Amino acid sequence: MAIPSPYVLRETGSNLVRNIVMTVAAVVTMAVSLTALGGVLIMRQAVNQATVQYQHGVEMIIFMEATASSQEISGMHQELASMVPGQIQRCYYVDKAHAWTEFKQIFSGEPDMVKVMDLQKMPPSFRCVPAKAQNVSVLANQFQKQPGVLDVKYPGQAIREELARFATLRNVALVVAGGVMLGAIALVVNTIQLAIFARRREVAVMKLVGATNWFIRVPFMLEGLTEGLVGAIIAFAVTFFARNTLASFTGSNPFVPSLPLYVSPHAALLTGIFVVVVGALVGALGSGFAVRRFLSV
Amino acid sequence: MIRFDHVSKTYKGSVPALQDVTVDIQRGEFVFIVGPSGSGKTTFLRLITKEEPSDGGEIWVAGKEVGALPPWKVPYLRRNIGCVFQDYRLLPERTVYENVAFALEVIGRSRHFVKSQVPQILELVGLGKKMDRRPNELSGGEQQRVAVARAFVNRPLILLADEPTGNLDPATTAGIMRLLERINQYGTTVVMATHQHDVVDAMRKRVIELDHGTVVRDQARGIYGMVDA
Repeated sequence: MAIPSPYVLRETGSNLVRNIVMTVAAVVTMAVSLTALGGVLIMRQAVNQATVQYQHGVEMIIFMEATASSQEISGMHQELASMVPGQIQRCYYVDKAHAWTEFKQIFSGEPDMVKVMDLQKMPPSFRCVPAKAQNVSVLANQFQKQPGVLDVKYPGQAIREELARFATLRNVALVVAGGVMLGAIALVVNTIQLAIFARRREVAVMKLVGATNWFIRVPFMLEGLTEGLVGAIIAFAVTFFARNTLASFTGSNPFVPSLPLYVSPHAALLTGIFVVVVGALVGALGSGFAVRRFLSV
Repeated sequence: MIRFDHVSKTYKGSVPALQDVTVDIQRGEFVFIVGPSGSGKTTFLRLITKEEPSDGGEIWVAGKEVGALPPWKVPYLRRNIGCVFQDYRLLPERTVYENVAFALEVIGRSRHFVKSQVPQILELVGLGKKMDRRPNELSGGEQQRVAVARAFVNRPLILLADEPTGNLDPATTAGIMRLLERINQYGTTVVMATHQHDVVDAMRKRVIELDHGTVVRDQARGIYGMVDA
């Protein structure tokens, strides 16, 4: 059945205004919860971006000269293969093209650095997971002197600290987001319950004259959806415009400490959209629950 | 138009409200349901609109078996039935016009339809000049006229009235009864529950008397208390 939108919008609007204090409470709590959720996602993106080379347990990177010959590279391949599994658990090769993609990602907040580099200047590398983490410095020294090797990096400590800091922050923020979200849902349910109570006479008349269940329910559902959406839009604005501040809570770039962590507008936009969808869903679910529980049709 | 076929209804933990009731009401009839308080009059009406399910038997309304209707079809059944109550059930913050228009808006009628029908029906009930008043600015009789207008604006096949004159003085009651009779003359089946003797006696319509949930009398051109000689 087609529901005439002017009627539904008018009813939804009057419900929202009639209970303005509860509406504001629901919207603010929703915004706080979703901001915490958005913040976690923003921080995760920043940390992932900064530590992209050191994921999946990689502790040591052997950077080859950008001009290293193919024999030098295949020699290194064979040598590393011969050390598996005694000293090295596994290694994989990253070519120039892949390295250039990563470089652009790590320094996406520093366009000047990206400008002065190019694909040909990128060193190919071997990413290695040592069999025993404590042996990493011995291994690094051993490879440092090989022909064609530019440098061997094992900034394990810095990365581990960065990831640990992030993990703590993430857990705290997720607990906050979850707790406040429960509060937000309860407030949405309560707001809808009050709206249903305030309109009980209208609802009785609507049932009497043959309004369909959906016609009766939709204004209340839209009220919850609106509360979720408005809260989510506030959270979206905060996470989008304060994304670099949020990212800096986890620390600085572990490779170039003078550089702050950076999140691209594109990534923040995707996070924001996700947050808005979550807000709308939570609002709709909360009001859906309230309508089912308190509005017998 | 309305057929009860061996219908029974018992509320939880209570005595039976209706027991084995069989009644047939034809299209265009005007029927009084009479009996003392607790005799089952209101239950009889609530079963017609499926506000309550029956426990046994079949109820047919406007060609549909009410018990077999899925919940989503019940609103469409109710669009064929107008209801009027003793306590009017008007929306206090809406004007007379808005109260009547509300009944059409919420079943999705177009704005154009609402604008054409509502003034017409308010003229019919004699409130054409009080469309902008709120219910608390009207007398009891006028409020009940608004309720009748709201029940009739969708031109239902059936009008159910549960003690519609219970709160009104005799003169106002007579006015409301004339209005219901006029609606009946338009072809709408009217079923009115009442325990007011004078109202029933004055109209000389079919009377169905209930006592402890059973039909004890079903009489054409009846009066309230005794068999018409």
